[in-house]
Amino acid sequence: MKQQISVLMDGELFEDEAASLFDHIKRSSDVHMDWEVYHLIGDVLRQPEHIHRGLSAKVRERMQDEPTVLAPRGRAVKQRIRTFALSAAASLSAVGVVAWMSLQISPEVAPKMAMQQSAIRPVSMQIQNESNDYLMAHQEFSPSTYMNGSASYIRTVSYSRDEAPVKNSPDEK
Amino acid sequence: MKLFVVFCGLLLAVVANVYAEETPVSLDWLETVVFAGHQTDYSGVFVYQYDNRVETSNIIHVTEANGEYEKLESLDGPKREIIQHDGHVWNYINHKMVLVDSQQGHSGFPFLLPEQLSALSANYQAKLLGVERVAGYNAQVILFQPKDNLRYTHKIWVHTDSGLLLKAVVLGDKNQVAEQYAFTQLQIGGKIDRSWVREFNSVGLPGKSLPKPPEAAKDITPINSGWVADTLPSGFKKTMEVKRPMHGKHAPVTQIVFSDGLSAISIFIEPNDEDEDDVDGLSSRGAVNLYHKVVDKNLITVVGEVPPHTVMQVLDSVRYNGK
Repeated sequence: MKQQISVLMDGELFEDEAASLFDHIKRSSDVHMDWEVYHLIGDVLRQPEHIHRGLSAKVRERMQDEPTVLAPRGRAVKQRIRTFALSAAASLSAVGVVAWMSLQISPEVAPKMAMQQSAIRPVSMQIQNESNDYLMAHQEFSPSTYMNGSASYIRTVSYSRDEAPVKNSPDEK
Repeated sequence: MKLFVVFCGLLLAVVANVYAEETPVSLDWLETVVFAGHQTDYSGVFVYQYDNRVETSNIIHVTEANGEYEKLESLDGPKREIIQHDGHVWNYINHKMVLVDSQQGHSGFPFLLPEQLSALSANYQAKLLGVERVAGYNAQVILFQPKDNLRYTHKIWVHTDSGLLLKAVVLGDKNQVAEQYAFTQLQIGGKIDRSWVREFNSVGLPGKSLPKPPEAAKDITPINSGWVADTLPSGFKKTMEVKRPMHGKHAPVTQIVFSDGLSAISIFIEPNDEDEDDVDGLSSRGAVNLYHKVVDKNLITVVGEVPPHTVMQVLDSVRYNGK
């Protein structure tokens, strides 16, 4: 059985075999445990920094803590429109994310905003447009100007869009 | 046996020598970058990624009989255009060319000063990392690793033939990208659009005022203000101390600049206007951090391509040491 699970995880099991194995996993808690342990092993091998153990159990626990909303069904139609709008927005932002990811031109670790924990005080504020003059005056004498030429001036004319300040980490206060 | 020991010593000396030579090689590259950036005609599109935003810009650099012309134009967001010529920087704001900057000290041929190079090698460890492809060109990758955590790591990609800088990345804490520039398309030499140079030089064009340096730009005067910063990171040397007019300020502002060869820290000191009460605080844009604070009725602003804790450390040590 264990070997079959491992084969399944490698994606080398035929469809019908996989289906019956999934069935088995669903029914037997022992097999289910094996399934989880194998994934944990895989996770540890791939990225030893962040391990999630018993994630599904924790999610289930939190779900049970969530209040049950008892709402009348009168606004169902409105709800549907809103759901559609939301899903449209979600797919738009997904397009945005894909576009942004395709612009990730660096092999370096892209800014993992959500993950990083900085020991120093996190900077949560964007430099305001009113401060651009300081940036310009600074740029004039900075060595980066010798190297990048005008390109380094792009910093000084970058515009702040009207949006919430980008935060370095979600749990900062 | 003795001979063997001598031989081994000799071998060690040779090996040590080979390793010692790694750094000077990279610094030569840096001079090549500076030289190539000014002597080469090129046009291309580059992206600037900072925080979690990306901006695309067009850049054209040509050399004419009366000097270099460089135009930078943003391709997304509101139209912003910067033209640089003869050490002056013009900004295209609201359909008007406005002179925003004039590089007093180095309006001639820009070059890296020997002091700058020695400061650089004292504060950073330079490493050649091999050749990679950027915008279709082969580029030598060079890493500048700081010797302390008070500055950022810099990584540059230099075109192996022309010496042009094709990509530059600033890496912060834990090697995450603080900001990066990279060409996505680049034409080196050949037929490059110069029509805008004529347009820029012609007088009385509709919507554009005469691009002449106004009087204000000449008012940058060297001074000895008496302001000092006690805890600058090691290797930062004062390169400039001036009194200058600044856009939107009634009184001239004192600016003191320190550099470690690769990045700079500017300290601005000005009388605190009554209406700017809650200006204290830290903000950032890409690799640049800015920290404001009021000290003795003066508004102090520290700006630099250094980590946030460095600008804060510097500002907290600023004091008046004059008469």
